[in-house]
Amino acid sequence: MEIELSDGELVRRIAAGEREAEAELCRRMAPRIRLYGLRHLRDVHASEDLTQNILITIIEALRHSRLREPEKLASFVLGTCRMTILDLRRGAQRKERLLEQFGPDLLGASESFRPRLDQERLAHCVENLKERERTVVVMTFYNEQTSADVASFLGVSEANVRVMRHRAICQLRDCMGVTA
Amino acid sequence: MKGEGQSWPVKCTNPIDIKVLADYWLAALEGPVEEAVEEHLFDCDKCGDRLRELIALAEGVRELARSGSLRMIVSETFLKSAAEKGLRIRQYAAAVGGSVECTVTAEDDILIGRLAANLSDVRRIDLCICNDAGIEQNRLRDIPFHPGASSVICQESITFAKAAPTSRLIYRLVSVDETGSDHPLGEYTFNHTRSLPGPGEWLHR
Repeated sequence: MEIELSDGELVRRIAAGEREAEAELCRRMAPRIRLYGLRHLRDVHASEDLTQNILITIIEALRHSRLREPEKLASFVLGTCRMTILDLRRGAQRKERLLEQFGPDLLGASESFRPRLDQERLAHCVENLKERERTVVVMTFYNEQTSADVASFLGVSEANVRVMRHRAICQLRDCMGVTA
Repeated sequence: MKGEGQSWPVKCTNPIDIKVLADYWLAALEGPVEEAVEEHLFDCDKCGDRLRELIALAEGVRELARSGSLRMIVSETFLKSAAEKGLRIRQYAAAVGGSVECTVTAEDDILIGRLAANLSDVRRIDLCICNDAGIEQNRLRDIPFHPGASSVICQESITFAKAAPTSRLIYRLVSVDETGSDHPLGEYTFNHTRSLPGPGEWLHR
């Protein structure tokens, strides 16, 4: 029977030396760290590096029982992510040595990051957007322009741009069959 | 233990609004709101999956834009950004009533037409794409424009242009009033000469 471990139980098992619990930690946390990294680093490879570095740091801490409140594992990982991003931004060196030591154990945590999209269908969906909404999503996602920049180009308010963007995203999701 | 690929936890009692997820991805949230979203995402793979789908959508739009295959109105910033990314932009500027000889090559990534027009005192503008007889084939309704600008920058699909045989396309800018009536702002003729190998005319099945 499959048992779903709580975060706290997972932490306790890692402290007890269970390697399978470490693998489960990687499976559980790697996608979340990767997503966080992508949001802050805007680069898939940098995000992958971050994920491995964070997992190494976390496993090391848990092996040595450094997490006082095991149920707060998610907060601990998020906090570590935030600190690491800060360090990266300060130009801190990467933990190459630790990566070499732990790297092979972490390979299983890798995943295909993005859901695959039907580009032809997406093209059709984008073509069906209203002109202004299409311009808003392209300026937003291709040019990475702020609402203020887009508003200036369109001669409308920032609030109006946000409404158009939201409407366009909802329409694209519907058109692509995304229901969640 | 749960198998790889399964979410943990599987249910979310308080899903993050997709609008908030979009703002999170665009770094447009205030600090405390962003922190709350991240705390939720580190506890909820369901919302993480929704964010991944949103990112995939954003990346898909980016790839489409990069491919130059969208017929759409663009800004100077868009062109600047495309040039910085190393894309090769072919541009033609047409005056009101003017005609332009044009082509595309295999190396071109983006095809732009600059349509000069007086855009002041205009409420809404449509761009009509017409065949060589001037008969409207397609219309981009309510296109974005800046009243202070002296032209509309239109991107034509490079995929379409590369496949197009030697032909003439007429673009027509019209302002549309409250009653829905058209008022011409300008007409522009693009005489396209095919420079890539291919059939001499559109193939119809």
